[in-house]
Amino acid sequence: MPESEILNQAFELGYTYTRSTGPVVGRFLTGLRDRKIVGIRASDGRVVVPPMEYDPDTAAELSEFVDVSSEGEIVSWAWVKHPREAHPSTEPFAWAMIRLDGADVPMVHWVQAGDESDLHTGARVRARWADETVGFITDIAGFELV
Amino acid sequence: MANLAAVVGIGQTKYTTKRDDVSIAGLVREAAQNALDDAGIGWDDIDAVILGKAPDMFEGVIMPEIYLTDALGCNGKPMLRVHTAGSVGGSTALVAASHVQSGAFNRVLTVAFEKQSESNAMWALSNPQPFSTHLNAGAGGYFAPIIREYMRRSNAPDDVGIKVAVKDRLHGARNPLAHLQRPDITMEEVKESFMLWDPIRFLESCPSSDGACAMVIANEELAEQSAKPPAWIRGVAMRSEPTMYAGREEVNPQAGKDCAADVYAQAGITDPRRDLDCAEVYVPFSWYEPMWLENLGFAPEGEGWKLTMEGATSLDEGGDIPWNPSGGVLSSNPIGASGMIRFAEAARQVRGDAGDHQVEGARLALGHAYGGGAQFFAMWVVGADKA
Repeated sequence: MPESEILNQAFELGYTYTRSTGPVVGRFLTGLRDRKIVGIRASDGRVVVPPMEYDPDTAAELSEFVDVSSEGEIVSWAWVKHPREAHPSTEPFAWAMIRLDGADVPMVHWVQAGDESDLHTGARVRARWADETVGFITDIAGFELV
Repeated sequence: MANLAAVVGIGQTKYTTKRDDVSIAGLVREAAQNALDDAGIGWDDIDAVILGKAPDMFEGVIMPEIYLTDALGCNGKPMLRVHTAGSVGGSTALVAASHVQSGAFNRVLTVAFEKQSESNAMWALSNPQPFSTHLNAGAGGYFAPIIREYMRRSNAPDDVGIKVAVKDRLHGARNPLAHLQRPDITMEEVKESFMLWDPIRFLESCPSSDGACAMVIANEELAEQSAKPPAWIRGVAMRSEPTMYAGREEVNPQAGKDCAADVYAQAGITDPRRDLDCAEVYVPFSWYEPMWLENLGFAPEGEGWKLTMEGATSLDEGGDIPWNPSGGVLSSNPIGASGMIRFAEAARQVRGDAGDHQVEGARLALGHAYGGGAQFFAMWVVGADKA
């Protein structure tokens, strides 16, 4: 019996999409362009960053924006010893949950650090802004230890 | 035997080319909030949420149900996403109805949407697939030869499609939510519009729209207490068949006929043209009106076009069985929502709440959606009376 051949075909699929960000996410992204980070107050009083359009508990429409600091502390992290091509840094770095001063919940971003032993829960970090900000999350070119 | 259920709230957005003032969440939320307001209830009164949309690739939002959980108040509640191509708005409404008819839930919110302006629905519809020939057709290209075959079989005059295109836009001009507002449209203008997919002209095709539609469906006890008249769900049916196989009847699909027979039997309908007061039927290309008139039993095979040409389906000509008084898919097409709009507009008619496109005295109406290669069918019959 001949050996079975397995079908194999190169396949690429891609389309262009656009996105309207609306009044809440749009305000957050516009803030980044101005090197500012804005959150939103949820129904229970917590400040959520990045801001959400609707309260995750009550479904209420949220609208009270709150400026938060571009400095904060690490809540938890995952060290990337061997960065890959798609990663934001060519050097070892950490994905981290960062609670910014003035916010009640952490947001995920990445932290540049020389060594994993430099990181700990509560370590202070500060946002590094891209040379050119365009209104996208990558306007924060990672966080660095303070 | 299923429990009784009824539509007690309906919410829609104004259908338009671009809603760049809102996110997808904001768009969906607007329709849902309008439906809650119409029902006179709040988010806490909803027991489950059933969401429908067209294929993920249409807008490039994979698993929108995850993203939309907050906007639709799903915290602590069951949420389910339904997907049956273009018929999804209809099948989503039916899944929502079954949640209540089963007795498992008292009151559910159902929502369907599409933001075509941010998408690539045209080509995402016929995306190349590995190990297959690339059709590269789009929806119109797929349906054009089927329409051509209908024209050949029925010997219908050339201008039937043109008449439907005008009729539905005149209906749409009565509906402030309709995307196209063309009270001045003429047969001549449609005829002279460019041939998009022979024999389908540009003005015989649906527009690309942004929009969302939502309904609240409640059990008998809650529906009886509702502030506005409920639309009682009198029959529900879905049928499917494979897209392509040798010998498939694509002009008059068996699944459509079977689906109609099922929903009519539940609603006690023996002659749909006589027994129903109006119908909201998925007609994205004009010739699908005469084709579905036959498929749904409003006319014998080969004679659907005669109803169209006589004006039987026209509100403006005083027809006995108006089809798509809201303007239909030919006037507004947010794809994922289009089926639900048909179902919701049928309900508006029997609630006596359809404004300037109200069919006078409507008591029983059909909502219809089809999708895929005319292979998924979803229908319901709603009435002003319980039985």
